[in-house]
Amino acid sequence: MMRSTPTSDSFSKDCIFEVKGLKKEYDDGKVQALRGVDFRIHQGEFVAITGPSGCGKTTLLQMLGALDFPSSGNLLYRGNSLPGLPDPAAYRAREIGIIFQAFHLLPTFTAKENVQLPMFETDRPRPDRQSRAIELLKLVGLEHRLDHFPAKLSGGERQRVAIARSLANGPSVLLADEPTGNLDSENAHHILDLIIRLSTEQNMTLVLITHDPSIARRASRTIEMMDGHIVSDQQAAPI
Amino acid sequence: MTFFTIIVRGLWRRPVRTGLTLVGISIGIAAVVALVGISRGFEQSWAMGMKARGTDIVVSNMGSALAPKPFSSSVRDHIASIPGVAATCAIFVDLTSIEDSSMMVVSAREWGGFSWKNLKLLSGRMPNDSMESAVVLGQNAAEVLKKKIGDTVQIEAKELSVVGIVDGGALVENGSVILSLPLYQEISGNEGKINIIDIRATPGMTAEEVKSLCAKINTLIPEARAMPAGDNVGNSQAYRFISAMSWGTSLLAVIVGVLGVMNTMLMTVFERKQEICILLAIGWKRSRIIRMVLLESAMLGFLGGIGGVIIGTVGVKILETLPAIHGLLEPDLSARLMVISVAIAVIVGVLSGLYPAWRSSRLTPSLAMQG
Repeated sequence: MMRSTPTSDSFSKDCIFEVKGLKKEYDDGKVQALRGVDFRIHQGEFVAITGPSGCGKTTLLQMLGALDFPSSGNLLYRGNSLPGLPDPAAYRAREIGIIFQAFHLLPTFTAKENVQLPMFETDRPRPDRQSRAIELLKLVGLEHRLDHFPAKLSGGERQRVAIARSLANGPSVLLADEPTGNLDSENAHHILDLIIRLSTEQNMTLVLITHDPSIARRASRTIEMMDGHIVSDQQAAPI
Repeated sequence: MTFFTIIVRGLWRRPVRTGLTLVGISIGIAAVVALVGISRGFEQSWAMGMKARGTDIVVSNMGSALAPKPFSSSVRDHIASIPGVAATCAIFVDLTSIEDSSMMVVSAREWGGFSWKNLKLLSGRMPNDSMESAVVLGQNAAEVLKKKIGDTVQIEAKELSVVGIVDGGALVENGSVILSLPLYQEISGNEGKINIIDIRATPGMTAEEVKSLCAKINTLIPEARAMPAGDNVGNSQAYRFISAMSWGTSLLAVIVGVLGVMNTMLMTVFERKQEICILLAIGWKRSRIIRMVLLESAMLGFLGGIGGVIIGTVGVKILETLPAIHGLLEPDLSARLMVISVAIAVIVGVLSGLYPAWRSSRLTPSLAMQG
């Protein structure tokens, strides 16, 4: 499934992320994970970020998710500076859904309970949290696994639960860090289809890190990174 | 699922470790319940004993020993002449080993004094005169000493007949061996000495007036100190020492509990480092993480407190049945002590969780991406 590239008119008003001269250094500048990155991401785009290990992909995703903050440069979300947010947790809870490579479900909670975890930071009452979790698990095809603990689920099922969890608070953006990296090819295919379908249906922006060129080819746009720089930023040809 | 579910799951994650920590706190709180309960009970038993004897003021010299220091019996005559004093009864109280019992209260009372009046005969009779070689036993004392009417009791080197079993209306009275003052003075070589004077104030005196009377007695009698009945034990050096030891020992046990909870919570935070980072990454505020750790810690304290109250109560009940102290203890296992003990446990829990909670709040959500 390909998505249309935003038109030049919608560029400014639908801009979700605007990144300018973004740098991230560790160990007092000895390690430079990002060395001045510039791009914009728009509402509804599916952007794949590719590149070899250590090129800065995950660091960039962390910045977009306000999991960490840049050393310098501008990082705007809908025109607001992310490092300047008074409550980054609220941004992560309400605007962003994160899907991890290793699923990262909490082992002492059932599928249904894992999906409810992000909702604790919203005003949603308890019965609503539960019904929303059931609804989301149905959406990812796990209505028969609601009360199963992660240890009793297959890898593909765990990632489905993680996807449902990422959608818990109806985010505008999905950030996926190699979401199929721990899955066999058949499961990887289904999971990717699911993520793309759900993000398209709900008009979410999808930023996905991958090593797999076949996955990157399904994105509307591919950003390739190398040594903390963007080396290419290509729109996919529309079908 | 509620936030409380999350707290419970956190504790249930390592049931053995949680269980051992609970045992640690429970033992600490059980020590508080037992030691403080016993020392308070000791004070209350004496106060009840005074009340049973109808005593308003006690004159004694409660130094550092459990039994008051002896002074001249002539002090009683001085006190009897003070306005406001309706009646007096000179007493010699001793804590001593009698036959197989390691510690018994021996209460030698002025012959004909009002302190005999509260004793209700359950069987036998009262001594016929002040020098009859006879004692009456409080009902618990009779049970502890395994004596009945007609048996003899050896005090110092003298064999005395048990002529009566009495109900004194309070544990201290019922746990006492009671005899006439002149007889005991002779047996113990304390002729002319007493160590307590029970005073009945003029009927209708208010508590303030009783206190004023005490102050007046204290200015006139330098040998001993007058205090309203019930206050004298609590103000004695010996009782204060026992009380301080009880709290001190309890404090040590509680500190061990604190370290146990802190260790458990630190281990929990270290072990769940990535989980905490994941929760931060999916939008949980740091304050909620801190609350989660503190509530887990408080929950450990609360459950440990409940366990400690149960263990402490059962332990004290078992102690009460031991032959060495049977009939001498009336521990204060009041609801107030239970509530205080559980509150201490919860405070211990929260305090122990502060550092682990602070550590957890230092974690960064980006660590969730690693591994």
